[in-house]
Amino acid sequence: MSDPPVGLVVVAHSRPLARAAVELAREMLHGGQVPIVVAAGLDEDTFGTDAAAIADAVATADSGAGVVVLMDLGSAVLSAELACELLDDDARDRVLLCPAPLVEGLVVAAVAAAGGADRTEVAAEASAALAGKTAQLGGPPAATAAAPGPEPGGTEAAAGAGGAVSTGPAAGTGNGAPTGSFTVGNPHGLHARPAARLVQEVRASGAQVRLRNRTTGSEWVPAASLSRVATLGAQCGHEVEIEVAGPGARDTLDRLLALAQRQFDEGPAAAAPAQTPVPPRGPVAASPGTGIGPARPLRQEMPDVPAERTDDPAGAWRDLTAALAAVREEIERVRARTAQEVGTAEAAIFDAHLLLLDDTGLLDEVRSRVDGGEAAAPAWAGGVRRVAGEFAALPDAYQQARAADVLAVGDQVLRALQGPDDRGWPRPSGVLVAGDLTPAEATELDPADVSGVVLAYSSPTAHSVILLRARGIPAVVGAGAAVLDVADGTPIALDGGTGELIVDPPDAVLRDFEARAGAFAAREQHVRARAAAPATTRDGTRVLVGANVGSLPDAVAAAGFGADLAGLVRTEFLFLGREHPPDVEEQEAAYRAIADAFGGRRITLRALDVGGDKPLAYLPVPAEANPFLGLRGIRLGLARPALLADQLLAAVRVAHDAPVSLMFPMVSTLDELLAARRMLDDAIAREGRGRPDGLQVGIMVEVPATALKTPVLTPHVDFLSIGTNDLTQYALAAERGNDAVAGLADALDPGVLALVDAVCRGAGPDTLVAVCGELAADEQAVAVLLGLGVRELSVAPPAVPRIKEAVRELDMDRARSLAGAALGLGTPAAVRELVGERRPGRAGPSGSAPDRDVDGRAEP
Amino acid sequence: MTGAGADTVDLDALGGWIREFARLVGEHRDELTRLDSAIGDADHGINMDRGMTAAIAALDAAAPASAAALFKKVGMTLVSKTGGASGPLYGTLFLRVGATAGEVDELDGPGFAKALRAGLDGVVARGKPEAGDKTMFDALAPAVDALDAGLDEGASLGAALRAASAAADAGRDATIPMQARKGRASYLGERSVGHQDPGATSVALLVAAAATALGGPGQR
Repeated sequence: MSDPPVGLVVVAHSRPLARAAVELAREMLHGGQVPIVVAAGLDEDTFGTDAAAIADAVATADSGAGVVVLMDLGSAVLSAELACELLDDDARDRVLLCPAPLVEGLVVAAVAAAGGADRTEVAAEASAALAGKTAQLGGPPAATAAAPGPEPGGTEAAAGAGGAVSTGPAAGTGNGAPTGSFTVGNPHGLHARPAARLVQEVRASGAQVRLRNRTTGSEWVPAASLSRVATLGAQCGHEVEIEVAGPGARDTLDRLLALAQRQFDEGPAAAAPAQTPVPPRGPVAASPGTGIGPARPLRQEMPDVPAERTDDPAGAWRDLTAALAAVREEIERVRARTAQEVGTAEAAIFDAHLLLLDDTGLLDEVRSRVDGGEAAAPAWAGGVRRVAGEFAALPDAYQQARAADVLAVGDQVLRALQGPDDRGWPRPSGVLVAGDLTPAEATELDPADVSGVVLAYSSPTAHSVILLRARGIPAVVGAGAAVLDVADGTPIALDGGTGELIVDPPDAVLRDFEARAGAFAAREQHVRARAAAPATTRDGTRVLVGANVGSLPDAVAAAGFGADLAGLVRTEFLFLGREHPPDVEEQEAAYRAIADAFGGRRITLRALDVGGDKPLAYLPVPAEANPFLGLRGIRLGLARPALLADQLLAAVRVAHDAPVSLMFPMVSTLDELLAARRMLDDAIAREGRGRPDGLQVGIMVEVPATALKTPVLTPHVDFLSIGTNDLTQYALAAERGNDAVAGLADALDPGVLALVDAVCRGAGPDTLVAVCGELAADEQAVAVLLGLGVRELSVAPPAVPRIKEAVRELDMDRARSLAGAALGLGTPAAVRELVGERRPGRAGPSGSAPDRDVDGRAEP
Repeated sequence: MTGAGADTVDLDALGGWIREFARLVGEHRDELTRLDSAIGDADHGINMDRGMTAAIAALDAAAPASAAALFKKVGMTLVSKTGGASGPLYGTLFLRVGATAGEVDELDGPGFAKALRAGLDGVVARGKPEAGDKTMFDALAPAVDALDAGLDEGASLGAALRAASAAADAGRDATIPMQARKGRASYLGERSVGHQDPGATSVALLVAAAATALGGPGQR
């Protein structure tokens, strides 16, 4: 090796401890030369860590290839971070702080460094060092039901399982094991079926095989674990590296590469994707509030079905076929709705459900049971149980989760067969635990019964989770598959503001959560008590805080929460899931009811916002490769004007009696806006009573080009409403329902903020700019939005009091300076840090930590 | 000492702040350690006293030529001599104060407040505390806020620092019912409730020392 090896620095509280660890590691080197420098203890006997000594040790250990620093706990981590600050830029760039456990990590790092690995490889190897112990002891690599609270030393645990160091793109690990790589050719990537084939081959070989996704720079994972292989997120075109150790390593590698060449024996017909769970990242805060109660796992267990018999097998089969068809229709409806409202990635789960309804193995068995005289229900239940049992018997948690899918669909068919019963929700009150929820399921939950929700997968931006927030149900998501094993009735405590999740908490912890729940409730009560009052900043700027509503009950709730107006009425609720569109009279009645609920306050009706992925039976649209860039919103309204014309007429009628704003979605050109306005003029003429006095017209700004054209659009509107959800995903070219890129779709991205700024500047001082996306409900974002010039925020009804209070705490001068500073930043994280600095303690993706301490103190 | 009426603090006054802090830490050493023994590893008083004694020795050895040099020397000494999380946290605080204060030989009120705010930001960057975690942040953040608020309202630096000291004391007292969520005390879970946080306590001393040393004539 002509290049100098990577150096290692050992940071520990105790000098003897560090020295002993180094001796242990040196035993593995057999004389190999790796600089290992100790920076531990204040002196021989005094526990402590010293950032200056660490910086010196780094300088000593660095012979040009850089340094990997391994630390014990607490202040060791703080001091190592500070040491990096003390280094000059050049040296700092060559240092990696490695989160590996000290002893295991040091031994592995020493071996890797001696083998010539570069520092990213050394750090990655060290971070993976825990895997051997974990595998031996059988625990999951990252605890999901872990101890409460953050780790010592201030590194938050909430960031979860991904906490390894970054890994570089370099190939191989430098320790002599045969390596190779392949490009995934399967159209849907290394999903469950090809992954299972790969794992099977690996297990049969007896060799130790590890994989990593070079394209994404993932960690190495053991190839014998299907769930770990799934976390590679290997998609079609990704390059995956293989490293094989053990007997016959070279042969095994060749076999695996050949298998990859054959696309893991996956035929073209078998290319349908199985559901790929979101890689668990550790519990993530998703909906604020504290939930305490017995776990209520949503396993969709099928009830016991009496072993009834039938003397009419043909009739029983007909009933069953009808039930299957009904369920298929229902799933397709929910699938399409999910695809439209959440994203095609999340809708894919339903493909797996649909597959089961057509599964010949299952249907053949059920058919023969029916032919043998079993009644439809027990025959179906029996077949489903067998299939589910096969999945459940698999050793892998990921595969076990498929059993839950099977039972869920099985139960759905059973209900279609037997009619509704009382097995479903509301379940006994407690904390609902599930893999994921569909939006439909989320809307079915009753906050009175469900004190909290824990999801193994999903993300804070998933639509079902947005609905949970809207309904005020505390939730923690991304908790990992292990939570699905929590037994019914096990006490659970969760804090949806911090992401803490504790299974079977000790009494002391339980009392803490109860105290938090009390404090949260007290704060809610405090802000609710003032909810009806206007939201005015400290220096007197009035800001409208409205509610987004999607139904009459929403509207009633919104009025109760003190909303100044309905900033967005999602009229789709009237149009979905039916054979024929609502007529003008039905629409008029529905809009009138919402206007009545708001008692004279303004309602903003959004014209029908559906798209090509939408299964409106009465509005067939050809399938589109990319519905989000297709015929949707006002484009569809203008292309098929009959529906829009009726809706505008209904809106005009209501506008004669109540203050109504009308808003056109997905406008991307001036021509569209003018055409839509002409249609509105036609509707006014058709009604024949002149232009309603209070009628205002606006557009949704969701398309980046629209944001930049605000100056030419403004003369034709009364207001502009920014839909930050779509604007963000279009601006960043990242679909928020796609977990692989959801992290990009952050509405606080300075690029998105620049578009908001463009809208506010283009609108000028006389045209109201509103925000009706999720961003408006982010307390951290309020200052920036108002500083940019937004004067209306429309949020989920329960968030209205909180956002009003956030407005009241603001000073416009400060908001403007924050907004100006935010526009100059490089990342959403930097924006969060900026706004967070002003209000330490406000944290979380939804900006909704129950920060009672801060608020208690902020009042001078 | 402050210049008469000018409301600025010179290097002597800033050094006096450090010395007064060291004196208070020495005076309260056993109290700090006792507090830490309830919820930590019983070394906060010992550690801080060791660190501050070393810092004073370093200042005595060579008089710094600027505010930046003064606080850098204090910060680096604390980093090396304190041990425990207090070392990097207080070290970062003083290093950031010094970097923000710059190569000057006096600071006016807003300049001092800005430097102290930078120190708070450093503590936040280093330890990632949030309000209510039962840490030094719970005393330091309200103190810095009160200092800013006081100066914004036109108060003298001395008056603003006295308000800051009161805020730090209140913040310190407010840690008693909190449950620790950072550091070793967090291992204790609810058993940490009912004990005053030693870090918040030493911060209150730091701010009290500022009020005394920088608070203008007649305040001692």
